[in-house]
Amino acid sequence: MTANTEATLERGPAVGGLDDGRVTLRQTVAACSLLLVALLAAILVTALFGSERLPTRASICAIASLGQSSCGLTLDQYTILLEIRLPRIFLAAAVGASLAAAGASYQALLRNPLAEPYLLGVSNGAAVGTMIALVFFGTWEWSRPLMAFTGALAATFVVYRLAHGRAGASPERLILAGVIVTTFLSSAIVFVTTLMDATRIRSFTFWLLGDLSGTTTNLLALAIIVAIVGTALLATNARSLNLLMLGERDAFDLGVEVGRVRLIVFFVASLLVGSSVASSGSVGYVGLVVPHLVRLSLGSDNRITVPAAAFAGALFVVVADTVARTIIAPRELPVGAITALIGAPLFVYLLKRG
Amino acid sequence: MQKVGDTLQPSIERILALRPQLVLVSTASQLEAFTKQLNEHRIAVYVTDPQDLEGVFRSIENLGKLLNQERRAEETVAQLRKRATSVTEEVKSTKPIKVFYQLSAEPLYTAGRDSFVTDLIQRAGGVSVTSDVPEAWPRYSQEAAVAARPEAIILPTDGSMGSANSEVADGLKRSPAALSGKVYRINGDFLSRPGPRAVDGLEALAHALHPEALKK
Repeated sequence: MTANTEATLERGPAVGGLDDGRVTLRQTVAACSLLLVALLAAILVTALFGSERLPTRASICAIASLGQSSCGLTLDQYTILLEIRLPRIFLAAAVGASLAAAGASYQALLRNPLAEPYLLGVSNGAAVGTMIALVFFGTWEWSRPLMAFTGALAATFVVYRLAHGRAGASPERLILAGVIVTTFLSSAIVFVTTLMDATRIRSFTFWLLGDLSGTTTNLLALAIIVAIVGTALLATNARSLNLLMLGERDAFDLGVEVGRVRLIVFFVASLLVGSSVASSGSVGYVGLVVPHLVRLSLGSDNRITVPAAAFAGALFVVVADTVARTIIAPRELPVGAITALIGAPLFVYLLKRG
Repeated sequence: MQKVGDTLQPSIERILALRPQLVLVSTASQLEAFTKQLNEHRIAVYVTDPQDLEGVFRSIENLGKLLNQERRAEETVAQLRKRATSVTEEVKSTKPIKVFYQLSAEPLYTAGRDSFVTDLIQRAGGVSVTSDVPEAWPRYSQEAAVAARPEAIILPTDGSMGSANSEVADGLKRSPAALSGKVYRINGDFLSRPGPRAVDGLEALAHALHPEALKK
């Protein structure tokens, strides 16, 4: 394990050996429990805020009864709380968790702190897929996540191929490839909008900035299931991701099946990004800022970072969307505008600090 | 007639090539840069942005003046005004119905303070629950729409909109309007274009909201 120890000293990340597995597990459980409690509290508190004021005690009572009792809420209030507001908050949580977990894994796998669904072009790939689904199979609901996933996966592989020069994939090449694919796909999006009628374009510009208001029960369920299963799958590969942060050759020498792990991460991350883009458009900065904040406070062991990033991402987007739907109520802002407004300065701060 | 692009992307080259004496612009398309370009080429631009039915009439009369068709424009407006007045007369004694105007469901857009549709709804014996919201076509919160308890929901659809916007937004499916079946689909070309057909829109709205009060 000498190579391992040296690399740890040299590059920083705590590389998990077998002996510290139990310690890490305990830390992971502690961090995640704490974040889970914070997330549940945030869900409960943000459910009390909206363009309409609802009676606080009755609302808490109705949520606590899991919708079984109306606790004196009128039918309208009940509908607002349990059929409009809470589903939207859950979607925000699922989208935030998906994007942050995907971002954390991309960063580890590609050994690049800037690797993020949006900057890598993966979000735009999913967006093009979703738009193609809407233009050509508008009525079939499942076509959206399916095409979004396909688009995300295609964009991921194209970026990865482009980034891979003769000398391997350098961080600069990767970001360059990401920028190229992102701008190319942005033009593709503009092109696809010209195929749509003018009345729909407006909804799309809104959607492109990230919008959590309009989703169906099916897509919400899908987003939640994908967020949980996807994060769990990425977390089970976290030890390999730790070793991969040393470089692919070192990881290979330490017994990591590099190709297989890469494939799994690309596939699962694309699934996560695809399902969130299909239900809410491109919510930017979540996959970048959240994993960095988590690493700053919890260290860079992916066994902690990946699941913790998912919880923190959920928390971040839940709060951001509450701002989006209340700040100019009864009108609304796209949530992507809020995440970018918070995320960009935060990232500049992190850059300055780092 | 030549096609020169659509509302959002007019082709300035093709328009200049046609050497028009006058270009009509609706601010609904928010074409400031486009208008400026036309100004630079010394092409007269008439911008119309009516915020109520009277504004629609005024822009028809102004166009009449600009095109030396003053008399015809005045006749048209007189006829339209007569139809509009007779609608208002017929619904005068009815109780105003609370209306939610759903311009699009996902995301939810409606007609606000500055939209002529808000005026049409009022003339048709209704009152828009979003008549105080700033802007002409604001992005609107679903929960606010539910809380407003609309008694009727208007969906502009068909016409050039095809089948878009033919269903009530999910959040509004349990509103009094949807539960009592008072969801009305009206040709979007009547309601989204501030031209002579706005009066067709007004008549259609009144027919939907107060079928009992209208003779025909």
